[in-house]
Amino acid sequence: MAGERLDTPKVRAKLWDGPTRIVHWALVILMGFAWWSVEANQTEWHLWAGYGILGLILFRLIWGFAGSASARFTSFVKGPITTLAYAKTLSRRSAGDMAGHNPLGGWSVVAILAAILSQVVTGLFAVDVDGLESGPLSDRVSFETGRLFSKWHDLSFTAIKLLVVLHLSAIAFYALHKRANLIMPMITGYKSFETDPKLRFAPLWLAALGAGAAAAVTWWVMKGLRL
Amino acid sequence: MAFQKTLLALCIAAGLAIVGGGVSAAEQKAKAPTTPGGKAAYTRQENFKQQGAVFKAIRDELKKDAPSMALISTSAVKLKNSADALPTWFPKGSGPESKYATDAKPEVWTDPVKFASAVKRLQVEATKFQTIAASGDIGAMRAQSQAVGGTCKGCHDSFRVPEEK
Repeated sequence: MAGERLDTPKVRAKLWDGPTRIVHWALVILMGFAWWSVEANQTEWHLWAGYGILGLILFRLIWGFAGSASARFTSFVKGPITTLAYAKTLSRRSAGDMAGHNPLGGWSVVAILAAILSQVVTGLFAVDVDGLESGPLSDRVSFETGRLFSKWHDLSFTAIKLLVVLHLSAIAFYALHKRANLIMPMITGYKSFETDPKLRFAPLWLAALGAGAAAAVTWWVMKGLRL
Repeated sequence: MAFQKTLLALCIAAGLAIVGGGVSAAEQKAKAPTTPGGKAAYTRQENFKQQGAVFKAIRDELKKDAPSMALISTSAVKLKNSADALPTWFPKGSGPESKYATDAKPEVWTDPVKFASAVKRLQVEATKFQTIAASGDIGAMRAQSQAVGGTCKGCHDSFRVPEEK
């Protein structure tokens, strides 16, 4: 592993672009806020948090196809053979010089995005037991189906909590076992490499365009898919 | 190797927990009531589902730009009748002791005065809604539907087992 050679000078290079980092931390904040607001019976705020999360997820999906190299699904979603091969190297005490998600981390990203997406979609159709605060698309389903969506919303949140625990455990594992700090690069965007990965980053106007598209779709959903 | 096996075991455990939760929830629902108390609890749940559907129909209609007055006034009558019948849905023995999966708290029967006043609030607001529905004032209907829903919530907060969030 290149990471074991201490004589090589390290280069600091950009890994995560601004949009990816903003989406990450905004999701952390809004998911926390959504959890708190529903527990505090602030359902209106809970709905706003949900719309925000929907917008972020839509943007992240767009960015996964059209964004910077390290944010693209094609750069980090690997097949089972590559993923298994990487899993076998997990116990090594070095994180290697990979620029971006490793194959296991890539699948973790996919799982978390899927879980959050299912969380938002089930919320759109969910009907609360008092029939007062319901998702913006709940008028498309019956009362009982809406109640079922509400239960799935709950089940899906259990899955998210488990994935977050796994995510945090992995970060702790990389910090303690592999001496790799995964948190700082997600804050600053920069990471030390043995060799500069020379990643390609998408222009800001593309991010603005993607954000505009995500916001427009979110607005449309908020309005109950009516224009 | 031991580490990877632990990781794999953790993932499998997490997966099973999710599936298990879903299955146990489905099982609870499928259990058919056999006792009189259980049957009463079952009927109560069906009645509440219908009431919920009627109230949802009103709320959905009021979300629209041009709500159907006919639908709202028919639903308003159904809602009022349902609210009036509600006290008969809680016969003694249909609580948790019925062993049927019910979210009705024992307080329904141990604090009947408070329960009756909570039900009364629904009946009053549902009656008001029916009157307002006949007036054709959509803004007032929207406001009154909030008041009706508030009485659902008020009663649920005290007499219904809170939902897991």
